[in-house]
Amino acid sequence: MDWNESRVLLWLASILYGIGLISGLRLVSKSNKLISSILPLAIIIAGFVAQTQGLALRGQLVKGCPLGNGMERIQFIAWSLVVGYLIIRVLFRLNLLGSFAAGVASIGGAISLSIPSLDSSYWENDDYTGIFPNHWVELHASVAIFSYGIFGLLATVSVMYLIQQKALISRRPGSLAPFLPSVQQLETAGSRLLLIGAVFLTCSLVVGSLDWTRPGGSVSYSKVVVIITLWLAYCSLWWLHFRQKLFGQKFAKICIVLFAVAILSLGVVRSAVSDDTTSSPESHTSDAN
Amino acid sequence: MPTKEPKLFLLGSSHKVASLNERELISLPSDEVDSFYQGLRSLPGMKECLVLNTCNRTEIYGTGNGSSPLLSVRDYLKDFRQLEADFLDRHFYQHEGEAVVRHAFEVASGIDSQMVGETEILGQVKDAYEDALCRKSSGKILNRVFQRSFQAAKWARTHTGISRGQVNLGNVISDLARRIFGRVEECRFLVVGAGEVAERAMESFNSRGCQSITVTGRTFNWCPLSRRKPDELADKFGGFALSFEKFQDSLHLFDVILTSTASGKIMIGVDQIKQAMKKRPSKPLFLIDASVPRNIEGNTANTDNVYLYNMDDISAIANENLKSRMAEVDRCRGALASRAIRLWDQLLNQSSSPS
Repeated sequence: MDWNESRVLLWLASILYGIGLISGLRLVSKSNKLISSILPLAIIIAGFVAQTQGLALRGQLVKGCPLGNGMERIQFIAWSLVVGYLIIRVLFRLNLLGSFAAGVASIGGAISLSIPSLDSSYWENDDYTGIFPNHWVELHASVAIFSYGIFGLLATVSVMYLIQQKALISRRPGSLAPFLPSVQQLETAGSRLLLIGAVFLTCSLVVGSLDWTRPGGSVSYSKVVVIITLWLAYCSLWWLHFRQKLFGQKFAKICIVLFAVAILSLGVVRSAVSDDTTSSPESHTSDAN
Repeated sequence: MPTKEPKLFLLGSSHKVASLNERELISLPSDEVDSFYQGLRSLPGMKECLVLNTCNRTEIYGTGNGSSPLLSVRDYLKDFRQLEADFLDRHFYQHEGEAVVRHAFEVASGIDSQMVGETEILGQVKDAYEDALCRKSSGKILNRVFQRSFQAAKWARTHTGISRGQVNLGNVISDLARRIFGRVEECRFLVVGAGEVAERAMESFNSRGCQSITVTGRTFNWCPLSRRKPDELADKFGGFALSFEKFQDSLHLFDVILTSTASGKIMIGVDQIKQAMKKRPSKPLFLIDASVPRNIEGNTANTDNVYLYNMDDISAIANENLKSRMAEVDRCRGALASRAIRLWDQLLNQSSSPS
């Protein structure tokens, strides 16, 4: 096994995240803090280190932020999701969020690695010089994918909300729900994550538009339509929630659906590197998110 | 070499062998504990002794010099509390040797409690042990037994499910509030009426730091279901009393509303809840209807962000939690028995080794 091979490390990360999920769920009822919270967190951090190293190795290979194919983008979203979790766990403690986030990262990562067509070797093309034409495009792409990670975390929080709410409505204790955060805490966390994600996505669009509008810059029409629609959808969702017009179960369900749409939209907003070999290298790379 | 077995004994009574009335006859009044200890320690052959005296159990643990002083302790207790010998036969149990260690472990861990897995008993056992230490009546053997029983209790709570879930109705309600709002201390709690469930819920919310408890009632006169008047309840928990005429217009100000009256009428209807939720659309509202017949219209549960529970729901959760605790009792008892055997072997080895 070659530990300098990015795919090996990414597989290792997926496995560790999976163990983080299982251990978190199995140990949740233990009153011993060391076992119930620190052990799953340690496993998730180990997975995060492996994934970071795997993405760094891939980044060295492709000479930029690795967002050139489906596998890389899913891995980067999973990485962003775990980063988001590690940051917000400091701001507000939410029981089991790490386990749920690790579960999403594990499943997403394993799927992306299991489908060979998602990991095309675009960097092996003869005319390949780098994934991004300039650092602004790289920043735009990485920030956009990071916002997807935050939206992934928002979807995770929404799933936890629905589990807790269903248990409360069914009026049965349930095996998991008593250990989940309260519906109000989950809704507050969801609201904050939505705002953070929307801010990152907005920043990404601003940075991207600076490149698209410069002389010689280009971007596909489908990408602009999809990304602007998604941005509008998330901003509208935040506004409706802020105005208390949309909340609770409906808010949680829409967050999950929007994240699914965002992931599916990656197929449309796909990398020009793997999309069109006849266009100029700059136009490939500017579509990299 | 013959084994010099420590003469460890226990004489006791608990909810398992005595009803409340009988336990009242057995229990030691707090002002008589001193004189009871004095007499106990002066019994012939008595080496160490410890008295555990709670509302649910009165137990005397001890060790003897050479022979077990169990019979003299029994006679002493009979005389001290003026009990019939026949009464003692029916409502007391006695153990010797390893069985005492096992019993102490089970008591401290809460599996011998009326409410399986309750944690209050551990504090009571610790207090009894501290008291015995202060009186210098606990020695080498009882120290080992009780210190190990605290460890065993901690192990049982950490590694088995005997304390999982709430089984007290008031705690079930405050636990549900925690699952809805997160921090019970920040909840605004309104009690309509003053039934026993209301009082238990107020106790539980109060003990968890809830600062805003308000009580209202149809009248502030005697409520047939309650032991106290609503305004007395408000006083007891440092809460506020609200005029009954105003409470229906103030529903939106509260996070948790519990009704416990004998009015037999619907006091909170769907329309009132919808009106209240318009003023707090994104904040959940937790309703508990502890009245029979009900005081809250059942359809209110269909309103967004409203969680309605009645007494059957609360009792079902308590029973399910209790069932899950009971399922753990045998596993816990087995593990505690092995620990008790290990400790007893150590005590035997120590007593047989030349000092």
